[in-house]
Amino acid sequence: MTELAVDIVGLTKAFGGLKAVDDVTIQVPPRRIHGILGPNGAGKTTVLNMVSGFIQADTGRIDVFGDDVTRLKPFQIARRGVARTYQNIRLFPGLTVLETVVAGAYMQRSSTIAGAILMSPTERRERREMRERAADLLDKVGCRAPHSALAETLSYGDQRRVEIARALATSPKVLLLDEPTAGMNDVESEEVGRLLVELRELGLTLILIEHNMRLVEEFCETVSVMNSGALLAEGAPTWCLEQDEVKEAYFGKRSDAARIATLRRARRGPGGS
Amino acid sequence: MSTTAWMITLQFAGVNALFALAIYASLWTGVLSLAPVFFGAVSAFTFGYVAGTLGLSPFLGLLLGAVLGAGLGALTAGLLIRLDSHYLAMATIAMVLIGRVLILNLPAEYTGGATGTLVPGDLGTWAWLIGTLVVAAYVMARLAGSRFGLAADAVREDPAVAETLAISPRRIQFIGMIISGALGGVAGILQSSFLQYIGPDTFYTHLGFVTLAAVVLGGAFHWLGPIVGAIVFTILPELLREPMGEYDRVVTGVLLVLIIIYMPRGLVDVRRLRLVRSRWWRPKGGGPEPGGPDPRDPQPVVRAEVVS
Ligand SMILES: Nc1ncnc2c1ncn2[C@@H]1O[C@H](COP(=O)(O)OP(=O)(O)O)[C@@H](O)[C@H]1O
Ligand SMILES: [Mg+2]
Repeated sequence: MTELAVDIVGLTKAFGGLKAVDDVTIQVPPRRIHGILGPNGAGKTTVLNMVSGFIQADTGRIDVFGDDVTRLKPFQIARRGVARTYQNIRLFPGLTVLETVVAGAYMQRSSTIAGAILMSPTERRERREMRERAADLLDKVGCRAPHSALAETLSYGDQRRVEIARALATSPKVLLLDEPTAGMNDVESEEVGRLLVELRELGLTLILIEHNMRLVEEFCETVSVMNSGALLAEGAPTWCLEQDEVKEAYFGKRSDAARIATLRRARRGPGGS
Repeated sequence: MSTTAWMITLQFAGVNALFALAIYASLWTGVLSLAPVFFGAVSAFTFGYVAGTLGLSPFLGLLLGAVLGAGLGALTAGLLIRLDSHYLAMATIAMVLIGRVLILNLPAEYTGGATGTLVPGDLGTWAWLIGTLVVAAYVMARLAGSRFGLAADAVREDPAVAETLAISPRRIQFIGMIISGALGGVAGILQSSFLQYIGPDTFYTHLGFVTLAAVVLGGAFHWLGPIVGAIVFTILPELLREPMGEYDRVVTGVLLVLIIIYMPRGLVDVRRLRLVRSRWWRPKGGGPEPGGPDPRDPQPVVRAEVVS
């Protein structure tokens, strides 16, 4: 068996009396686009928070490419190749678009304090390369906003793209995306979907939380569905969405297969893909 | 004010600017610390003692301040960085208070106790002051936008996010404290050399308050801020003293409050400039509409539902 990119086993996290994540196991092989689905409050973000080290798991274990990262600090996990974006966009208020992405390239730089003060040739070259690389990444994620604008002044779509570019600047092996298409229209969402595929071709493993079912079915190879902290179903997205428990979690007791089917058709629109 | 009085005021403004830059250096990494005042005191008294017993060239005096300050900065960081921001700030204020107790209680041959001690004045010249200030400003300007500088920006603005970019906040703050220490040490040496006499109250809470106010007033997000702030905040009370008499403090206090309320990022506010510039570029704005839907609000459970 090949090594898993992300191996989450028996992960549990309680906030007070609430079990936000309850014995969740998610195993993602390298170069996979894996979706995490589930209604609001299901515990999806909490899972990503634990993988990136934002919060500590109560019990369970998280391995990234065979390394146990469960008890590591976020920066140590980041140095093992995990990058992420946020459901509530978190950009640095004072930084421009370009600076934000260059800030993400911290570990890709070798310059020292002395080099910076003396403006050594290495420092000059590195600053130029970093700017070029950041500009390339912004192109790749499809951010067309001026690079010298404050990142926080961009449209939400562009802010999300800058966040992805910043995460990519760390040269990650695993990218965690928390609702990357929230606030985007269908065309923009589709662009994000294509970006995911492009990144996968470059060797990345992608785990995304996504509410757009059409996007999930089109781009995710596998999904894990959560509800009330627990895992409901896992497997191919279409199969998962057919399961009664999943439909119930999303639509309540009244759920019926026909409704999802209708929604799917409606979502594709006339003459859809 | 007489020309001499002006000169003295401006010299104090320059030294305060160095202290303010020292406070800025750690604040840049998200650490509010008044420790530079303590570093200045230790450097100044050490300088006074060494220069008095062994003799010390001016340049070596400055070097002594920088090295001693940097060392103390590292030591302080090692001990205190683990504290939460408020406790850390209080711990550094405590250092300033303890400094005074030490000065009063160490054997008089070292610090002069309550009477204070004499310090050689050969560094107390405009040339040394401006030279040092230019070097300090140059260093801070070079660090802005460097690997360290961007990491410091990130750590200060959102340490949790910075950490997921593989930046270790502690490490960045440690470096910030070392730079802060070096600047504080140098500022202390210059201060003592201008005064030629230092006592237990030379490096005390008043200096800490004035320089911290200078950073807040001038702007804590660009190296120019502390310098502008120190100059304004040192000169303004002197200008107000004649017309206002003893009320000058009230006016500077009110000014400080107004600036905190209306210009929270200080007089030198790069972010505001950038905001104005981005608005100018895109007059129609592609940015978030003030009244528009905020996609950061919780999303509908299944977006497909919207169509049904
Ligand atoms: N830091 C926290 N402190 C307390 N409760 C939290 C925290 N983060 C999440 N929760 C709770 O945990 C549950 C799962 O939240 P979350 O993981 O954000 O869900 P999802 O991302 O699936 O919408 C929710 O009930 C939420 O209120
Ligand atoms: Mg969430």
